[in-house]
Amino acid sequence: MQIYFVEAVLLVFLILITCAVIFCKDILSAVVIYSSFSFTAVLLYLMMGSPDVAFTECVIGAISTIFFVAVLRKIDRWCD
Amino acid sequence: MMKDAFGGIVLSTSFRWLVPFSIVYGVIILCLGEYSPGGGFQAGALLSVGVLLSRIILGWDTTFDVKGTTSVWLAGAGTFLYAFTGWLTLLGGADYFLDYNFFPIHIEPMHEMHAWSIFLIEIGVATCVMMTIINLLEAIVKRSEENVGSN
Repeated sequence: MQIYFVEAVLLVFLILITCAVIFCKDILSAVVIYSSFSFTAVLLYLMMGSPDVAFTECVIGAISTIFFVAVLRKIDRWCD
Repeated sequence: MMKDAFGGIVLSTSFRWLVPFSIVYGVIILCLGEYSPGGGFQAGALLSVGVLLSRIILGWDTTFDVKGTTSVWLAGAGTFLYAFTGWLTLLGGADYFLDYNFFPIHIEPMHEMHAWSIFLIEIGVATCVMMTIINLLEAIVKRSEENVGSN
């Protein structure tokens, strides 16, 4: 029973993080919050019993964060 | 005393600890792929994380200097290795693609032959994924550099 409670809390976290990414004004902080979305998804996948998918999500989350930060650095739009 | 070679102690320490461990872990996942979680895709992604982190921290041209055309060529070579293993099984008399029982190089016992053919496939997939990710980042950076130069 407790495991469902933890899963529900993680799902609520996912929704809150998504809303924060959508309504965030600063692009760089949106990227960082999006990496926390990836981390929460990793925890959810682990609790659902698929370490394979969790591992993939972890690595791809890191890579996409690197991509976003590289693009932001190149186009020189750190704020707003 | 630690030399301050590239951009301060935070970047230096994170490079020294993160990059070797991620690359070694990628190789472990590649080699143990047939009976543990993860496989070629995850191994290629981890290896590319090591390369990308080192290129971002140390500068673009100093480490792992794989050019764009070379990375595309190597990605194609990885895909070809994957397909070639499947064709070898078809040439050995299999009914469908990647039937490991008909791998033409006979190694006893049978499950070891399965493991070796899966390892070949994983090397191909890992090379393809790693080089594709490196090529994606290279394309992003190069295109934006061209835009900045034209403006």
